[in-house]
Amino acid sequence: MAVVAAGALVLAGCTSDPETTEDTTSAPAADETGDDTGEETGGDDGSATSDAAGGETGAEGDTAKADLGDVTPKDDVVTFSSGAEEYNAYNGVTADTNSTYNSVVNNQLFSGFWYWGTDGTIYPNEWFGSYEKTSDDPLTVEYTISDEAVWSDGTPVTANDYLLDWVSTNPESMGGAEALGFNPVGTTAQYVTEAPETEPGSKTFTVTYPEPYPDWELLISSALPSHVAAEQAGLEPDALAQAILDGDAETVATVAEFWNTGWLFPDYQISDESLVPSSGPYTLEGSTWESGQSLGLVPNESFFGPAPATANLTFRFVAPEAQVQALQNGDINVIEPQATVDTVTQLEGMSDTIGILKGDEMTWEHLDFNHGTGVFSNDEGGLAAREAFALCVPRQQIVQNLIQPINPEAEVLNLREKFNFMPDYQEVVDAAYDGRYDTADIEASKAKLEEAGLTAPVEVRIAYSAPNQRRTDQVAAIKSSCDEAGFNITDAADPKMFEPGGPLDTGDYEVALFAWAGSGQIASGAGIYQTDGPQNYGKYSNEEVDAAWDTLAASTDPAVHLEQTKIIEKLLWDDLFGIPVFAHPGVVGYDNTLENVRHNSTQTGVSWNAEQWVRAN
Amino acid sequence: MLQFIVRRIAISSVVLLMGSALMFFATINSGDPLADLRESNAENRDQLIAARRANMNLDQPWWQRYLTWLVGASKCLVLSCDLGTTRNGANVNTMIVNAAGASLRLVTLSVILAIVIGIALGVLSAIRQYSGFDYSITFLAFLFFSLPVFWAAVLLKDFGAIRFNNWIADPALSTTAMAVVALVFALLVASVLGGDIRRQALTFLVTGAAVFGAVFAFDQVGWWRRPALGLPLILVGALLALAFFLTLTVGLSQRKIVVAGLVTVAAGLVAYFVTAPIMADPSGWLVILGLLAATVVVSGAIGWFFGGFERKLSMFVTIGTGVAFGFLVFMDRLLRNWGAFLEIKPRPISTIGSGIPQFDDTFWAEIFDWGVQLILPTMVLTLVSIAGYSRYTRASMLETINQDYIRTARSKGLSDRVVYSKHALRNALIPITTIVAFDFASLLGGAVITETIFGWKGLGAVFRDGLNTVDPAPVMGYYLVAGGAAVIMNMLADIAYAFLDPRIRR
Repeated sequence: MAVVAAGALVLAGCTSDPETTEDTTSAPAADETGDDTGEETGGDDGSATSDAAGGETGAEGDTAKADLGDVTPKDDVVTFSSGAEEYNAYNGVTADTNSTYNSVVNNQLFSGFWYWGTDGTIYPNEWFGSYEKTSDDPLTVEYTISDEAVWSDGTPVTANDYLLDWVSTNPESMGGAEALGFNPVGTTAQYVTEAPETEPGSKTFTVTYPEPYPDWELLISSALPSHVAAEQAGLEPDALAQAILDGDAETVATVAEFWNTGWLFPDYQISDESLVPSSGPYTLEGSTWESGQSLGLVPNESFFGPAPATANLTFRFVAPEAQVQALQNGDINVIEPQATVDTVTQLEGMSDTIGILKGDEMTWEHLDFNHGTGVFSNDEGGLAAREAFALCVPRQQIVQNLIQPINPEAEVLNLREKFNFMPDYQEVVDAAYDGRYDTADIEASKAKLEEAGLTAPVEVRIAYSAPNQRRTDQVAAIKSSCDEAGFNITDAADPKMFEPGGPLDTGDYEVALFAWAGSGQIASGAGIYQTDGPQNYGKYSNEEVDAAWDTLAASTDPAVHLEQTKIIEKLLWDDLFGIPVFAHPGVVGYDNTLENVRHNSTQTGVSWNAEQWVRAN
Repeated sequence: MLQFIVRRIAISSVVLLMGSALMFFATINSGDPLADLRESNAENRDQLIAARRANMNLDQPWWQRYLTWLVGASKCLVLSCDLGTTRNGANVNTMIVNAAGASLRLVTLSVILAIVIGIALGVLSAIRQYSGFDYSITFLAFLFFSLPVFWAAVLLKDFGAIRFNNWIADPALSTTAMAVVALVFALLVASVLGGDIRRQALTFLVTGAAVFGAVFAFDQVGWWRRPALGLPLILVGALLALAFFLTLTVGLSQRKIVVAGLVTVAAGLVAYFVTAPIMADPSGWLVILGLLAATVVVSGAIGWFFGGFERKLSMFVTIGTGVAFGFLVFMDRLLRNWGAFLEIKPRPISTIGSGIPQFDDTFWAEIFDWGVQLILPTMVLTLVSIAGYSRYTRASMLETINQDYIRTARSKGLSDRVVYSKHALRNALIPITTIVAFDFASLLGGAVITETIFGWKGLGAVFRDGLNTVDPAPVMGYYLVAGGAAVIMNMLADIAYAFLDPRIRR
């Protein structure tokens, strides 16, 4: 008794003053939206959205940004992480700074003429301006910037900015990199050899391409503020523009140093906010940046487009291995983790507060034959041997076992230049491929191998860049199937796969297993499939394919592109250039109180519409 | 002595210098700095490669690149370091300063805790050799020592952050949970205090009942969301501290010192009320430090006044008690602000980072802001290093206890308390000094995994990123700090050794 009494006495004063309110809002139970938003997966459009009703985000299957109407930024914070690497450059188009961790932030600071939809469709930003192809020969495009478009410091967005954008890619007509000294990642000047036609300070400019270029639309979208660069070099903004128009390389070169280095943040802080105005929904002016931790953007008060839905967008620099738990604890609200079965299981385990979006990425896995040397070259086994291999590769089983656990809607990929989620995919497949290699057929494969005149077991090395667990699993699946057909598959994983002197370079393989990241470009495949193309590692050669690519690249007409793509795909299937397997799966995890979180298959990733994310009330 | 120190510094500098050359050579040969560009499909690839070659001086021979770095780094001697830039132009100086700051914050507390707890456990398990307590500590030490850090960290985040945050939103403990807590405490206390079976059983029952009662009371009054210590608990704590310091020194034999201690507690009581308005919202750490200084002066004076012929010991006891009292008052204030902090941050413990960006609130809320973020990583680092300390201390203590002079002391009729605290402990601690010094240095640079998982950008991350990109500048910056810390700490240990053991000085 004495102990109890003494204890009671001792504990008597042990609580602090009552809280002002009993705080229950923090309980994670407030989820009326519940499970129905939890596990939505993308349909054929490759997108998935966090909005259960779908009404606000527009019609089902829409791959563009939703029209949210008149938005007032909600006083709230939404947090996103793209990885542990820290933002370090306002100018993300120099060779040194062109990276995802810069572009996720910069996408919110600059607006441009267009953006990527969820399936890789190009959508114009009508509030920013407009562009129109006015001639095909020579290809001429006229751009008009909206009169409303201004930088956050009040200076209008004008053709001056696009002149600097063009000249920063070191056009040869002005002496190239040696005379100008910019350090760009862009290559606009290779296609647009002369400066855009315009007046300094004008809202319109005209771009002329001496050669037809199918991907002209991608070259020009957003630009850096030329008035800042000019002032830093001691020039009048219009004087810089005039110098570019006049081809005055000496004057232009004075801007290069600032362009290369002045818009970088080597100390991970913004020393002078007047150098970094914004033309996008958010701005760095007034932002909070804690080095190594986070960068919080604030709304751009003079933004002329649709206002951001949430007032503070914070980027946190968090390593991938810590992201899932951080999401669960509410430290980050949206993540796009590595799409593995483990991650998906982990996310699904907390589905009462966490929503999951699954979809395809524009990166696709493929098996490429070595046409130059070895059993699959035309000198040895030839087409029959390639067919034998294609017949024993269990594509369906690979997708079922390795990809569907992550994205249940994943399908075998049957094309190289189009993805399953694109609207014209089926049309091209119908024209190019009859489905004969969908599932493994061991007997047919044996017969083909005999026809090829090869004696079993046929040694086949499948080379890929190690370490990669998923590819190891794929090779194991292929081995168990193809060894029955008379092949002897060897796992030839090599960390030096892509290096000079590595297997791909020396041709020391029979089959290469790797992925191409789709850029959304129409003509970029030429380098892979044309004779002696820079990425044609397997030394494939077919005159008809070469000709079809030439026709495609010489045209700017989408109908011609589609028609030639059908021809190319058919030839590549008939010749068995290689075997496409699947599009990489993508996973997004998000706090399910957020609206408008949508998966995007392009390289922009889930933050493509971050300015629309907002917490439901 | 001076000559000894100078000689140590000279030798250490040579070691650092040679190490830096080796490190530099190893780093630039650890891979291909152009690997990512070689795989690139960019149309201006050759230009990019040329730019990087120029940036990183790849065309120079390795010794020339090393000398360039060395010249910059040697400016540190005149306090204007130039550690160069990373390959994409980031300033290594700022990087290292930021990272070292983060690492220090992360490591300091855990090192101190690990030393205190580890040594205490080691001493206790040596004294109670082959008891249940000893076996449990040994078992746990091995368990923690072999814990994979990333796994422990992930588990801690799950229980310590995510589940704790869920729980704190509406905290309530089940009777079973309370019983388990009480049981653990009871077992612990009973096995530490020892004695015969009857005495142990009694300790077990009393402790169990007391802890269960306390937890039950906490739960009933909603302590988890609005905690405080309150004056009674502060007094109990202060008296316990007094008892601890008395045990370490003279026990109850010296009335004067006991009285001095009690007077200190009484003075603390008065000060508690006097300083209450200041402590409600102090303007900064200077105020706290000022109060600490005042505490030391006043309690020292009490010790001096009452001490009689044992002034030194008396002052030690009173200052210790006074500081402990002050600490409890501080903690009481801090706890009282927990509710307010929960209002600002309903899920108090984040799994990543070092606090809310640009947090600006009361003094106490700010302490919580960074304080709670230290809890989990500190626990991980502490658990891992406690194991080592407790084992070393136990071994060293056992060795000392079995020395002849301890037997002599015992046969003179000295009590256990005096034998252990005055004769054994000090001698047992000498070898620990070296381990502590070295451990601090290695933790500073070696907490790579902990840093990554808890989202801190510390030295470990700088080192790892630098190595991954085959970029010598950040790696060498890391080397300078980690290597420098290792050398300095070892030197301090050597000097401390020399003070403790005159034989080494020659």
